[in-house]
Amino acid sequence: MLNKKLALDVINEAASTGADFVEIFYEDTYSSVISVENGKVNNVINTNISGVGLRLLKENRSVYGSTSDVSRKSLLNLATTLSKSFSGEKIIKPFDAFTKVKAKELCKVETPLTEVPKEDIVALLKSVNKDVKDYDPRIVRVTSSLAIDVHSTEIFNSDGKYIPNKREYGRLALLSIASEGNKMETRFDGPGGQAGWEFFTKKLDLKALAKENASKLIMMLEAKECPSGKFPVIIGNGWGGVIFHEACGHQLEASSVAKGLSVFSGMKGEKIANDIVSAYDDATIPNEWGTYNVDDEGNIPTRNELIKDGVLTGYLIDDFNGRRMGEKGNGACRRQSYKFEPTSRMGNTYIANGKSTKEEIIKNTKLALYAVSFNGGSVNPSTGDFNFGCSEAYIVKDGKILEPVRGATLVGNAKDILKHIDMVGNDLAFGQGMCGASSGSIPVNVGQPTIRVDEIVVGGRGGSIDEF
Amino acid sequence: MNFKKFFALASENGIEVSEINKNKSSELSIELFKKEITSYSIKENQKIVARGIYNNKMGFVSTEKDDKDTPLFIINSIKQGASLNETDDEAIIFKGSEKYKKKNVYSKELESWPTDDILKLLFTLEEKMYAKDSRVSDVEVFFSKETAESIMANSYGLVLKNKTNYFYFGASATIKEGSEVKSAFNMFLSNKPSEINLDEFVDETVKKGIDKLHGVTIAPNSYKAVLSRDVVSSLLTALISNASSEDVQKQSSLFAGKLNTQIVSPKITVEERPLEKNIFYQYFDDEGVATQNKVIIDKGVLKTYFYNLVTAKKDGVESTGNAQRAGSKMGIGFNNIFLKPGKLSEKELIAKVKNGVYITDVTGLHAGLNPSSGDFSLQAEGFHIKDGVKGDPLTLITVSGNLFKLFNDVIAVGNNTKLLISATCVPSIAVDNIKVSAE
Repeated sequence: MLNKKLALDVINEAASTGADFVEIFYEDTYSSVISVENGKVNNVINTNISGVGLRLLKENRSVYGSTSDVSRKSLLNLATTLSKSFSGEKIIKPFDAFTKVKAKELCKVETPLTEVPKEDIVALLKSVNKDVKDYDPRIVRVTSSLAIDVHSTEIFNSDGKYIPNKREYGRLALLSIASEGNKMETRFDGPGGQAGWEFFTKKLDLKALAKENASKLIMMLEAKECPSGKFPVIIGNGWGGVIFHEACGHQLEASSVAKGLSVFSGMKGEKIANDIVSAYDDATIPNEWGTYNVDDEGNIPTRNELIKDGVLTGYLIDDFNGRRMGEKGNGACRRQSYKFEPTSRMGNTYIANGKSTKEEIIKNTKLALYAVSFNGGSVNPSTGDFNFGCSEAYIVKDGKILEPVRGATLVGNAKDILKHIDMVGNDLAFGQGMCGASSGSIPVNVGQPTIRVDEIVVGGRGGSIDEF
Repeated sequence: MNFKKFFALASENGIEVSEINKNKSSELSIELFKKEITSYSIKENQKIVARGIYNNKMGFVSTEKDDKDTPLFIINSIKQGASLNETDDEAIIFKGSEKYKKKNVYSKELESWPTDDILKLLFTLEEKMYAKDSRVSDVEVFFSKETAESIMANSYGLVLKNKTNYFYFGASATIKEGSEVKSAFNMFLSNKPSEINLDEFVDETVKKGIDKLHGVTIAPNSYKAVLSRDVVSSLLTALISNASSEDVQKQSSLFAGKLNTQIVSPKITVEERPLEKNIFYQYFDDEGVATQNKVIIDKGVLKTYFYNLVTAKKDGVESTGNAQRAGSKMGIGFNNIFLKPGKLSEKELIAKVKNGVYITDVTGLHAGLNPSSGDFSLQAEGFHIKDGVKGDPLTLITVSGNLFKLFNDVIAVGNNTKLLISATCVPSIAVDNIKVSAE
């Protein structure tokens, strides 16, 4: 907890040279990771991250400072140093007390993860670990871990607002490696949420998760190399949403849109996708991985419509970048920790359900790659060029799933791909990930129903798809 | 926190041996856009990373707080972690190496570089980028300067100190011609501001972007290729990561059982030189073991794995000074990887390949490259090689292959070595076959 009088003094000092907005972000985060490798607890780590981030804005300029030393002397010193970037009279109206902003609690939990005995966590991790390891002798290394992060934050700003917040994350990470001769394959599954111990003991089917992890690992170990060339690709629901996240989501963030650096800058109201595509970012879905009660500048999140029936309808905006765009922030400002200046980011981003079933999409496809899951990907926001590495993929031929293929990479351009989505399924699901950008690594959900893209460049080590 | 008092308190609490790493860092970062400072940030950070042996097991913790409650928080966390720890790994805290090759790499020149001069440099950089070519439509300029100090001390009395500083600046440019948009990115890293050659940097950056315009497609096929230094660096680092003794011992490295055998082409010789006097210089590793320069791959033959104290003990060898923390847990790492140069210039490599591709960049490494199997399939940028010269740029391509095979199929190694931001010093190489996919 930061002393309110100190917060007031820091804001006053920081504002002394004409900043038009000052914000203090105080954080005290405790993380613990317990991990089990091949049946034995091999790692228990407790970490504390704590400090203050101080942000000063003046028109389109920002200065930011952070320190892990939260003493009065250190914070006032930081305020004085940062204030020297501006010169002028104080313009912020004086106030002598903060008004507390209370946000709606979106993530209700029965049993907080911090209250679970470590022995219970170890038992759960060992059980999952054993189920994966016992599946096949070729599975040589299995690590199961549970990471718990409890973020306690307080925002004080020159609008006189005081916004306390707390978020508690839990994520089970299951990483397995199989080897046979000169072949080696890895598989990662990482379900998580802000949902308490009950998420892991009641909502998740751990037996099914272990079986999925192990069986898909062995399947991919034995799979043929993926063909290369340009052809249709069906992208699976849930984690498949990473393609929308990378290819489009990042380019709808005000951090690149405001400066005219995104391929979607200034395109609101224009058709950017096929009619059947609608997309949202909704950080208010209860208990989800990318949900937050307030964003990291104290704004209340909302369900942001990004694309409606193919037309670009909205961006993800933080207050600072919003200044260049003439718009207010829409609750999409985030940061990894106090060490990062916050900016517009995603929360739970997804393509909305369409009308087709997954079965119909497969049935209506003559020859394609079916990319079910991905290791991740990246995008160059100024050109829109993106790439994704598939962790699980199949060849679909004559309306049927033929066989798995390994080592597929999809590359394309954000502007093109949305127009090439020609079927949208009705099986929307989410996948949990960590998204890295200028304001650090943050938990996000990606999501979508099964979709089909009529053509995309696929890189792989196999021959032509026509050989299937 | 007083270290001696802490070690005594830890001992009173049953922690037989303990160790503290205290790191302090300060960082200044600046970003420019359209002649304005759009971001200016200062970071002051301190972090205590501690570990200790309790009932013969190791416990770890890290914290950014250093107040009256910190010693007990550390002690309790170590005890809790150690109590749950079930590994057979021997818990080792190091008493110290006989000799340390300490050099001073801290740059006073950088320390005394005035912020006003830094700003002037950045504004000039931005101006020169726009002036270089009318097709440069947007430029983002960034700068960062960091100073880090660390002290490592343990209850055996070992105390090791290190102080380093460095800076980097860079530019990301958008190049537009008609409806075609290309981007170029470049960075300069050093600890001596006097080494900056701004005109050379601007020329190189803008040329990178302009050269990409008017791209052509290429038929998907396997090609002979020249790989740029950046590409070699990314792929070589992934290959070398298989020399981690931890992965070898846990059967998740394809280098297992390959010591003193031919693993790649005889044209490849790789050294790790942590004691090379550059900004990546490091004279002790994260366990306090003195580092040493060593040959990893000699003419294609694997000569050693990377060891820390724990993995070395398992194999009955000495640590190679390659302990590196991942979070607060001890793992294996390496830095200053040198690939021995050959005789040909990059131009001569291209001439030697005659017909094929020149790959300048690869992206998507975290998703498209599996270091343990060596399989990769990556988004790439590059050019045609036609009749022995660099030809047209290629639009949207992927390259795929296997690292082990790729470094086996080396035609020639170039002589254009350069120290890169990735802490590698490598030349370009020419390889016999890489699979290219395209539209």
